[in-house]
Amino acid sequence: MERPATQGQRPGDEPALFLEPGQLAAAIRRPVPRAQLGRRATIALWALRVLVIILSAMVIYTFFSQL
Amino acid sequence: VSVTLREPRDAAAGPLLTAEDWARSRDRGRVHRARGGGRRWLLLWLLAGPGILAMLGENDGPSMVSYTATGAAYGMGFFLPFIVVTFAMAIVCQEMCMRVGAVTHRGYGQLVLERFGPVWGWFAASDLLFTNLVTLIAEFVVIRVGLAYFHLGPVIAAGLGVALVAVTLSGGRYWRWERIVLGLAVFNGLFLAAAIMARPHWGQAARSLGTFSPFPGGSLNTLLLLVASTIGATVTPWMVFFQQSASADKGLTHRDIRHGRLDTILGGALAAVFGCGAFIVGTRLAGHAGAGIQGLAGAGFPSALAHVSGHAVATVFAFGLIESGAVAILTICASTACSAGECAGVTASFNSRPRTATLFYTANITAALIAAGIILIPGAPLLSIALNANALATVLLPVTLVFMILLASDRQLMGRRANTVSVNVAAVAIVTFVAGCGAAYGIDSFLQAAHLIPGG
Repeated sequence: MERPATQGQRPGDEPALFLEPGQLAAAIRRPVPRAQLGRRATIALWALRVLVIILSAMVIYTFFSQL
Repeated sequence: VSVTLREPRDAAAGPLLTAEDWARSRDRGRVHRARGGGRRWLLLWLLAGPGILAMLGENDGPSMVSYTATGAAYGMGFFLPFIVVTFAMAIVCQEMCMRVGAVTHRGYGQLVLERFGPVWGWFAASDLLFTNLVTLIAEFVVIRVGLAYFHLGPVIAAGLGVALVAVTLSGGRYWRWERIVLGLAVFNGLFLAAAIMARPHWGQAARSLGTFSPFPGGSLNTLLLLVASTIGATVTPWMVFFQQSASADKGLTHRDIRHGRLDTILGGALAAVFGCGAFIVGTRLAGHAGAGIQGLAGAGFPSALAHVSGHAVATVFAFGLIESGAVAILTICASTACSAGECAGVTASFNSRPRTATLFYTANITAALIAAGIILIPGAPLLSIALNANALATVLLPVTLVFMILLASDRQLMGRRANTVSVNVAAVAIVTFVAGCGAAYGIDSFLQAAHLIPGG
């Protein structure tokens, strides 16, 4: 276990690997499925985005007006 | 349960193991042995890190300056217990990040991108990159303030920050990076030491903590700025990205959630105590023109403290500022790099080598270089950037937190470790409060700047 890590090995090459299968880099790169959002949730998220964009623009305007 | 793969596999069928896998496996091996041997303290030592770093990293330069400025402006009162309340809010948010990271083994940016699509994913990442850059500039400014007390210039501040990032990145191990940053973060306690050395009115502090009073007066805008800054000093978008990515990179699993909670609570408690320390130091300046000190361009607070409480307090405080900026530079650069790698769909791990995680390492060092470069520009509006960094983070925070709640409540991802109803109620209340304060501050400031209402 304590020998330096070597890239490109396969699980059988090493005596023990203390990782859950889902923790392997290859497994982490496998995408999770898209969430199915309801119409109301989608509208709420868009509303939040728009609100945040407007507020950010206000803060940025305030910042530049202070210069 | 951590799986020990012992049996040989078909070489053609088994997945290729990367250096990242082996490095993480070595760390998990130690956890496995500590747990098997019933060594509880060793287990806590091995599993602690992401929570403490997120919380102490958020006790960053602008936050400590903000706490000190509030103490200097208002003295003991409402804001002292309010700091504690905001850290309680931070613990609720950060516990969700840790849990999602431990169960899914994925970072926040990757999950938002994959679960909610590229529009939301890139929006969240853009939020983060923008606030991180502004905050990083503020961190370098605060290091500059701390060093200015020792008559050292901005070039040293810029060089120190970039060198720290470069040194901690070498080694290709998450564990090494985490332990170096934890070692530095311990010195956040300098603010508590400065508070004790400044000999404050402890009875008054206890009364304020118990009664949330006296409530501050003054203009609504100033009050909103201070409330928004205090929230922004405690819960920020980068913390969410950082703790989830760090928990995954460290290799936490669902078996480690209890220790992850302890790590988060311990971090929150330490950060609250040290944050209150910075506030209490500031109260020593109340009545000594403390409210008027905006010392980011020079060495305002340490110098003022030297006059009021002596050079020893000022020196400890100045070292504290340098530490708070340095640790935050490391954690914020890390969150920037994780987010960039996760959103681009490439390796984003400290356990990877630079040649296999080029974007991760490049983003990490580039973020530091850009911020360092900006503080060296003559006449750059550093004071304004530093003062607005926390307020901007507060305005952008609700989006990050809403997605965090959605991920942590997602039974398809989290199974039985999804948020309970009580956690969701607390989380939604926090988001509503943060969004309300951010919106009120943003709108009020804008109306004043546009001369639509009289200034405060």
